[in-house]
Amino acid sequence: MMTIIRVAAVLLTGFFVGLTLEGVSRKIIARIQRRYGPPWYQNFIDVFKALSKNGITHGWIFDFGILMALGGVIATLAFVPLGDLVAFPGLDNLFIIVYLFAVGALGMAMGMVGSGNPNSSIGVARALTQMLGYEIPYMISVSAVMYYYKTASVSELMLSQQDSWTLLKMPLGGIVAFISLLGMLGKKPFDTPIAPAEIASGPMVELSAKYMGLLMLMHTFSIFVEIGLFVDIFLGISNYWTFLIKFTVIWILATLISSVLPRFRIEQVVKFYWKVPLGLAFLQALFVLLGWVF
Amino acid sequence: MANHERNIWEKIADQLRSKSLWMLHYCTGCGAIELPPSMTSRFDMERFGMGPMATPRQADILFITGYLSAKTLRRVIYTYEQMPEPKYVIGFGSCTLNGGIYYDSYATINRLDYYIPVDLYIAGCMPRPEALLEAFNELMKMIRKGEANGWRDYKENYDWYKSNQIRSLGEVLVHDEFHE
Amino acid sequence: MMSSMSEIVKNLKTLVKKLEIVEIDEREVKIEVPCEKTLNVLSFLKGNGYSHLSILTAVDWIEENKFEIVYVLFSWENGGKFVVSTKIDRKKAKFVSVMHLWPIARFYERELHEFFGIQFEGNDDMRPLFLENWDSLPPLRKDFDPLEYSKEKFPDREYIKDVIYEAKVIRGDLNG
Repeated sequence: MMTIIRVAAVLLTGFFVGLTLEGVSRKIIARIQRRYGPPWYQNFIDVFKALSKNGITHGWIFDFGILMALGGVIATLAFVPLGDLVAFPGLDNLFIIVYLFAVGALGMAMGMVGSGNPNSSIGVARALTQMLGYEIPYMISVSAVMYYYKTASVSELMLSQQDSWTLLKMPLGGIVAFISLLGMLGKKPFDTPIAPAEIASGPMVELSAKYMGLLMLMHTFSIFVEIGLFVDIFLGISNYWTFLIKFTVIWILATLISSVLPRFRIEQVVKFYWKVPLGLAFLQALFVLLGWVF
Repeated sequence: MANHERNIWEKIADQLRSKSLWMLHYCTGCGAIELPPSMTSRFDMERFGMGPMATPRQADILFITGYLSAKTLRRVIYTYEQMPEPKYVIGFGSCTLNGGIYYDSYATINRLDYYIPVDLYIAGCMPRPEALLEAFNELMKMIRKGEANGWRDYKENYDWYKSNQIRSLGEVLVHDEFHE
Repeated sequence: MMSSMSEIVKNLKTLVKKLEIVEIDEREVKIEVPCEKTLNVLSFLKGNGYSHLSILTAVDWIEENKFEIVYVLFSWENGGKFVVSTKIDRKKAKFVSVMHLWPIARFYERELHEFFGIQFEGNDDMRPLFLENWDSLPPLRKDFDPLEYSKEKFPDREYIKDVIYEAKVIRGDLNG
């Protein structure tokens, strides 16, 4: 019984906080460009408007793909601990979360390819190539952290940072994880899969009405999962409220960086990720193996 | 457009819909030069909730900015029928009203109302961005009152629109080197 | 005209007997040739450095019943322009194609066929370039009336008041 209430609390937090913070980021970008922006509740209205139109469908692969994507991401979110609010205690292993997250991405890929538009195939190919770029440095630095603390459960990783934050103990690993986080979120300079003016929005080109609303929800939940993992592993012990505060700080930092940079091409993305962040991640793993930690 | 009876869900949906309209980033004709000034910092369009969108499947508003030749009109009809409902069309500039300065040309149309249903016209050659923002507010008020029913008009009088299109264009299917 | 251009004109006079030369500017000379010698003149000019075909177009002289086809050639070495023009018959409009000299002439001749109705031998790519589903005279001829075509195919907006009269009153042309 308590489990159901906790799962509902996690999902509702993801919904409300995620949509509010997306609206706040639009306002921040507008203020950087010296104009007023939309009100902070704009994304709620966007999602409701998208769900109220009469769209068209392209067959059952299309419907099933988008449902699989949304279902996968909701299932992933139910396992992530938000500070000390853990829905399934004892079951929040890092490998489970990474595995379930791939279900979401693959579901979207399958659905988009089933629509038959060549723009969406190009966008999906670029998204999967970019995933190949950012996953490798991320997994190496997170493996270094897991080796140091001798555990793989996310809530235990958070609780064993009692003397100081992991970010201060392993600064190189933290920086590498933050750069990979920018790639995962799909913000500039790494938003090649969704490039609006080049390939007409990439994978989202054929989504009409209800599917667009579900896709926006999926995007919000996946942002919550990615930044939540970063805050839990690298930024010290937190209860529910300090978790939300740290979440907001990291989100605003990512928005500030993304609002002043242009967009990379896809081969530049992979080349970048496999040069500097990969080298730093290897260095960090070497330091952890030799015991040189702050 | 005639007033249509709405039940309570449609009224709420219209209130929400008027605050977040997405326009299609399709710039046809010489009036498209007035769109970037309205989107950038001085005359900000995003504070009303409007933003540009790249595909017709997700857009609400279709802007016809300027003259339309017969060749472009075939592609615009394709685009208009690809958009999901409810959808709105704004005619921009005097070439959509009565032909403008190209009223005696053998290749441009004279009156946009005959081919696709139009909700709002903006006069001028070119209208300033202030006129554009006032037209947006007018369109949002029309949506809230329930008067912007161009898409229902298109569905009910489909034969009349089709016969006008075929009279002026010959046929609406596109045959060119790219499609074949 | 420049010294190099006057030399070329002198050589041209030995090639072709009947030439008319109009000097427009220091770097621009217009030459009118009869239609049989046009290809010789063009290849001669191309061999002497005027290797860039700027445009190939036509003028409709409806009183004399002729089309005038105009070639503008440009030289990158000294910046001089030669304008070569011939006149062909309007009822049976036929000419030779210069595709073998300049490959870009293929598209210019396609446009001339669509807008004037001139046939080019040697160029068998005569599909329409700009207009689709065209069903009337070629539109750039002088006996085609665009206002009447526009009124018939694209209907106008009917006004209840006479707006032109009202606009004149407002502007002050008429005292209303």
